[in-house]
Amino acid sequence: MQRVATEPASARLRRLRAAPWWPAAATLVVAELGLGAALLVPVAFSDPNGVDPYLARLSVASVLIALPSLFVRRLAPARPILLALAAVATTYTLLSAGPQILFDLLGSRSGSFDAQVFWASLAQAMGTLLIALAAWRTVAPEWRPSLRLRGLRFGGLAAGVIGTALLIGLALAIPADVLGRVALQPVAVGRDFPWLGPANALQAFAQEVQFRGLLLGALERTMSPRWANVSQAAVFGLAHLAISYGGPEAPFVPITFLVGLAFGWLVRRTNSLWPAVIIHAAADIALQFGVVQGLYGF
Amino acid sequence: MGSEPRRSAMGTAAAACVALTVLAVGSVTAHAASQWWSPVALSGTAVTGVSAIGDTITVRTGGGTTLASTDSGRTFAPVPGNPALPPTGTVTSGDDLWRIDSSGRILHATRLADRNLAPFPDSRAPRLGRGADLIAAPAALPGVVIAVGTDGTVWRRGQDGDWKQALLLLPQSLVQGVPRVTSVTAFTQPLSAAIYLGTAGYAVLISTDGGDDWIRAGPGLPDSVYALSADSARHAVYAGTSDGLWVHVLQELPAPPAYQDAALVWRWIGIGAVTIVAAALTLFGMLRLVPRRVSDPTS
Repeated sequence: MQRVATEPASARLRRLRAAPWWPAAATLVVAELGLGAALLVPVAFSDPNGVDPYLARLSVASVLIALPSLFVRRLAPARPILLALAAVATTYTLLSAGPQILFDLLGSRSGSFDAQVFWASLAQAMGTLLIALAAWRTVAPEWRPSLRLRGLRFGGLAAGVIGTALLIGLALAIPADVLGRVALQPVAVGRDFPWLGPANALQAFAQEVQFRGLLLGALERTMSPRWANVSQAAVFGLAHLAISYGGPEAPFVPITFLVGLAFGWLVRRTNSLWPAVIIHAAADIALQFGVVQGLYGF
Repeated sequence: MGSEPRRSAMGTAAAACVALTVLAVGSVTAHAASQWWSPVALSGTAVTGVSAIGDTITVRTGGGTTLASTDSGRTFAPVPGNPALPPTGTVTSGDDLWRIDSSGRILHATRLADRNLAPFPDSRAPRLGRGADLIAAPAALPGVVIAVGTDGTVWRRGQDGDWKQALLLLPQSLVQGVPRVTSVTAFTQPLSAAIYLGTAGYAVLISTDGGDDWIRAGPGLPDSVYALSADSARHAVYAGTSDGLWVHVLQELPAPPAYQDAALVWRWIGIGAVTIVAAALTLFGMLRLVPRRVSDPTS
C-alpha cells in the first residue's frame, strides 16, 4: 500500500496564516466565540428573563475587544471587523435602554414611549454612523470597508420594492401562529405609526450599515465575495439569536441567516445599501404592526 | 508561548471556572408562574357554548347536548329537556345595558337615566350586520364596549363614546383564510379591565386598555375556542374549545421576577466576571492567531 505524503499540521497552519483572508476570518471567529461565551456562560447562573443584562455585557465585551485594535498595530487588520461588531452590540443596547435613559433624564418631558423609542432609534443610527466614520478614519485604505451609501439607481429602487413585496408575501404564506402575525390593531397603528414607523426605518438603516456596510465591506476586502457574504450573514443570524435566545422564537432565528444572505447578495449586486435598507425597513414595520405580542412579550 | 505565561493563563481559567461553579450552585432558581389556562373537564369533546355563574357551569357540546355542573366542573350531567343556552347579544355592566338588535344595531340604556332600562340606538355605533350577537362591556372601564360585526371586524367604543375598528384578524395561511371570531366576554363586576376575545384559530386574545392594544393569551389552550364566559363570582373565565372546557383564573400578567437579595449581587458579579474573562480570552486568541506580518490584501 502506497503511503500518501501529508502536509504536517503546523506547516498547513503556517500556509493558512499567510493567506490574505486569514486575519479577517480568525478575528471574526474568535470574536464571535468570545461574545458567545460572554452571552451564554451567565445563563448557567442568571435569569435571562429577569435581571440578566445580556445586551449590556455584550456591549462591554465588544468594546473591550475592539478598543485594543485601535492601538495594537498587530490587530490593525482586525479593526474594521471589531468596530463592526462593537457597532452592532453597543448601538442595540442604546436602542434597548434608550427609552429608560430618556425617562430617567427628562421624566415626563421625554414624551410618550413611542417618542422615546424613536429618539433611541435615532441614537442607534447616529451611533452607527459615528462608528462607521471612525472606521473610515482609522482603518488603512487596503482594509477600509466600502459602505455603499452613495447612489440609489432605478434598478436598486425596483429591487427594493419587489423584494419588499416578496418578503411580505412570504410572511403571509408562513402559518400565522409561527410568526404571531395574527391581526392588525387599527387604533394602535394610528396611534403608534407616526413615531414607530420612522423608528423602525432608522433601526433598519442602522443594521444595514453595520452588517452589509461595515462588516461585509470589511470582509470582502480580503475574502472572496461568497465567503464574505456567508460570514456576514452568519453574524447577522447570531446577532438575532443573541437578542432572542431566551424566547420560543429562537428556533426560527436561523431564518435571519438566509435573510442576511439575500440582503448581502442584493447589496453586492446593486452596489448600493439602499435596496436592502428599503426591504429591511418594510419588514421591520410589518413585524411591528402585524405581530400581536404574546403573554410573555413574544 | 513560554511555560510561565501558559501556567498563568491556565490558573486564570481555572479560577474563573471555580467562581462560575460557586455562582451556579449558590444562585436561586426561578419559579415558573402558575398556568394561564387549565383544563376543567370534557377532554376530547367540542364545547360550543358555556355559561358560568358561581358553582354552576352550563355547557353546550358540539353534538348538541346541554350539560350542567353544580360542583365547579368536576362532574357534568345532561340537563333535562336539553335546552339551548340563553341567547347572547345583551350585556349588563354596572349601570349600563348594551344590546345588539336583530338588524345589527347597537342599543344602549343606562339605569341612571332610565329606570326601565329601555335601550335606544347608539347613533355613533357601527352597523354590525344582521345576526351579530357578540358584545361585551368590562365594568372596570365604564363606557367601554367591544362588539363584533358579522364580517369579523372587532369594534370598540371608547370612554368618550367614539367607536373605532379595534382588531382585524389576518389569514392563518394562504390556504386557511381568516379565522372566525366566536366569542367575546369581560367581567361585569369591576374585577379586571381585561376583555377576552375567542377565535376559531388563534385561541384567545385579550385587551386590557379598552380594545386599543391586544395580546395573544392562549398558551396551553387549543387553537379553536368556540365560547367564553366570565364568572365574576369565581374570578374566572371559562373557555369552550375543540378539546373540552378550560378555565383561566384571574391573575396578573406575567412579569419578570425582581430579585432584591444577595443573589442579585452575586449575579451581577458573575456576569461582570464572565464579560471580562471572555473579552480577555478573545484578545489573547486574536493575538495568537493574527500573524505578526499581514500581507497586503490588494497585492
